[in-house]
Amino acid sequence: MRVFRFLLSLFLTVLFGWLLWAPQTVGDKSLPSLGGFFNPFSGFWKNAAPVANTFQDIDLPGLKGEVQLVYDDLLIPHIFAENLDDAMRVQGYVTAQHRLWQMDITTRKASGRLSEILGERTLGIDRVTRRRGMVFAAENAVKAWSESPENLRMLQAYVDGVNAYVNQLRPADYPIEFKLLNYAPEPWSLLKTALVVEAMSENLCSRDADLASTKAAAKFGWDTFDYLFPEWNPKQQPIIPDTGQWKQWNVNIEAPTTIAPEAFGQTSRKPESGTTPSFDTDPYVEGSNNWAVAGTRTKSGHPLLANDPHLTLGLPSIWFQLQIHTPGQNCYGVSLQGVPGIIIGFNEQIAWGVTNVSHDVSDWYHITWADDKHSEYLLDSVRQKVQERIETIGIKGKDPLLDTVRYTVWGPVVYEYDHTHPLRDCALRWISHDAPSPDGSRIFMFLNAGKNYDDYRKALNLYDCPAQNFVFATSSGDIAITVQGKFPIRQKGQGRFIQDGSRQISEWHGFIPMDRVPAMKNPSRGFVFSANQHSTPPSYPYYYLGSFDDFRGREIYDRLSNMQNATVDSMKTMQLDNFSRRAADALPAMLSLLDRSHLDDEGKKMAAELDAWDFRYEADATAAPLFDVWFDTCYARTWDEWDGQENLLLPESWRFIELLEKDTASIFFDHPSTPARETARAIVQESFETMQEYFRQHPDKRTTWGHFMGFTLKHLAQLDAFSRLDVVVGGHRTAPNAMQKTHGPSWRMIVDLNEKVKAYGVYPGGQSGNPGSPYYDNMVDTWAKGDYYELLFLSAADEPSSRIAGRQTFKPTHP
Amino acid sequence: MRRILSTILFIFLLGQSSRFGVPWWAIAPIGVLAGWLFPMHAFRGFLAGFLGGSLLWGTTAAMLNNANDGILSAKVGLLFQGLQGWQLVLLTAVLGGLLAGFGVLTGRYARDLYVGSKPND
Repeated sequence: MRVFRFLLSLFLTVLFGWLLWAPQTVGDKSLPSLGGFFNPFSGFWKNAAPVANTFQDIDLPGLKGEVQLVYDDLLIPHIFAENLDDAMRVQGYVTAQHRLWQMDITTRKASGRLSEILGERTLGIDRVTRRRGMVFAAENAVKAWSESPENLRMLQAYVDGVNAYVNQLRPADYPIEFKLLNYAPEPWSLLKTALVVEAMSENLCSRDADLASTKAAAKFGWDTFDYLFPEWNPKQQPIIPDTGQWKQWNVNIEAPTTIAPEAFGQTSRKPESGTTPSFDTDPYVEGSNNWAVAGTRTKSGHPLLANDPHLTLGLPSIWFQLQIHTPGQNCYGVSLQGVPGIIIGFNEQIAWGVTNVSHDVSDWYHITWADDKHSEYLLDSVRQKVQERIETIGIKGKDPLLDTVRYTVWGPVVYEYDHTHPLRDCALRWISHDAPSPDGSRIFMFLNAGKNYDDYRKALNLYDCPAQNFVFATSSGDIAITVQGKFPIRQKGQGRFIQDGSRQISEWHGFIPMDRVPAMKNPSRGFVFSANQHSTPPSYPYYYLGSFDDFRGREIYDRLSNMQNATVDSMKTMQLDNFSRRAADALPAMLSLLDRSHLDDEGKKMAAELDAWDFRYEADATAAPLFDVWFDTCYARTWDEWDGQENLLLPESWRFIELLEKDTASIFFDHPSTPARETARAIVQESFETMQEYFRQHPDKRTTWGHFMGFTLKHLAQLDAFSRLDVVVGGHRTAPNAMQKTHGPSWRMIVDLNEKVKAYGVYPGGQSGNPGSPYYDNMVDTWAKGDYYELLFLSAADEPSSRIAGRQTFKPTHP
Repeated sequence: MRRILSTILFIFLLGQSSRFGVPWWAIAPIGVLAGWLFPMHAFRGFLAGFLGGSLLWGTTAAMLNNANDGILSAKVGLLFQGLQGWQLVLLTAVLGGLLAGFGVLTGRYARDLYVGSKPND
């Protein structure tokens, strides 16, 4: 009996302990062990950081001198170091301290290592990431950086700083996401820094429409293709206007443009005019705005600079604010997790900001295999061996997948493993695979310490990828903008379509020399700006491939050209401007085609509401959802020839609006499925009725724009509990305030380059990556309201300010 | 009564070692030890262990939750069917209590086996 009682109680204890100890599995998701997660010593409670901040001094091995760290009331670190290496070491440490899990998940995603922690369900994502050559690209970057000892030393200081933090962590200190997903942080490395850069490239310059354009040309023929996809919108304002600066350049490319006809049933023709790929099929566009206004147009007589990069918004935020002060620089701005230095910011003399260049730097080449095993392919009729790269993709709970990727002279054959993929026999030529310049990762360091226009240009010359429009201003009065990147020289139309990879002549014809990239300094008009639009007008001697809708750019241009006595407040109203050029162009055309006598009372009321709309996507606008549904329906009804077709290029919306205005009898307004010949008038009318029907069936959608759009700020692991789903904002991707459901202005910055530089900024998030910290999302509401923080730009570590929350000292240790 | 208090105190104090890196499940063996050292009626022993364990886990969690203004527990609660912060504290206390309680029971019966004495408390 005694034995039995003992055994029973022992069994119960062990059983219960085991239940708490064993990781749980629900469906295909593995959860942490209950005891591990709930116990208050190492579980999630340990992440419930005290609301009251305390700052302790820290011993940091490798430092040359003491580093003072001042935290302000937004938990923004201000680093005061005696040299740049020490500053980088501390930047690495504090970034890891606040954003370690974000650093981990970003590099896992970029290197195809999600399945190691999430299991088979992310294998597809990992596989494509690997096969696109992301790790290959990052390795090339590390190799190139290693050629510059100066660069390497600085990068290593940052890496060591991160690792000094990681190495002292006990499991109890791991960020909560590690506990939830049941894995441990890894040491940081140079490769991981390179992966963060490659992730940015993937995000910003991996887009192309080669397949969709090729299929559209094959389906419609060249004349119709040119009609649907004209290259240049005459209404748009390029970033750099033609002032005769490139008249003398002689750019001749003898090589023909090759298109891979055998792959897509295309009869060969050299397209006379290349056109721009449409990104309308992808509603989530990553765009941005920046501008600088010269003293001639500002109240103070000094330049103003503004930047708001539009990116996928999430928590933790993509940006981390900080100040870096050394004897050589005093710089403030936002940084990327895992990358040393400040990416967008200002110092006591200069300010700069970036937007993405939409120039296409990613092309597909059709491969002619020389054998069934795909071990060789033909290049100018000569057999070439593929280089095999074996990717080992770890999978939680399973054996790793060994995946062979074949690299050709063009690049990796990405989709070869999927026999149904239209690009299965195509190799990817992507600029991100190329080795950067050895000092490529230091350009932001040079900008951080820059003092004038020459420093700016010298720094930019080293910058390859992802290409950015660098806007620039100085407190001495200069403004400038440079379309900076490594741009392939192409024959007109080259790279629009899938090219013939069996001919060497299909390759890029070198790169636009750095002294010929489009740039502008102190134009007489008194401002420079960019909004991802065409860099240059068609007269620029090098072929420009790629475009975004330029509605934002037109609005910004108009506002800046009419601006006098500009102040910081005028910059704010521009960043928050919800006026849509697209709506202003399209709605009058649509309303003029609408026959109101055929509408019922409800329809007449809606039309009247649209009449009264000021084309502003304000959060409380109720006409905006009506327009959006009506416009989208018109668009879809017009291009019904596209129904059921995959990967077929759709016309850009400006071209669609142009047809509505000028070509209402276009054959594309006709429904092929009906005997009648419809015109734009019929499309507009039936779409209006469809719109009415939509709101009848979805009465909850008949609401304000803010609720209709349904903005969400999601946690990076898509956990609703750690997301902000209650934020209501206005804006639209065709307005300067380019808000979308999950995208938008990720950092609004305005710099007043007065004698004493003053700056304002806000991003939708908080400095801490810990969902348990009050600093996790404390700036979200400020951002949503359209307010800004004055940025605390200290001149010394001991400068008094009521906004200082605490100080700590990083001390060198000598083992 | 003295043994009940001793058990509670023993678990609460020794359990603090988990603050310094001793694994969280150590509370079970600590319970076993308490059950051996302070033998009493099985139900009372279990109760004392439960109180000691839940006091340890519950107060630790409650203090962290309090210093955090309940920010994190409100969010973690959403991950678990919308539990409130205080319910998470309670759940934590119950888990710690059960683990320690079973431990005490095991310790007490183990002592029975070896010592054979009938608890007189």
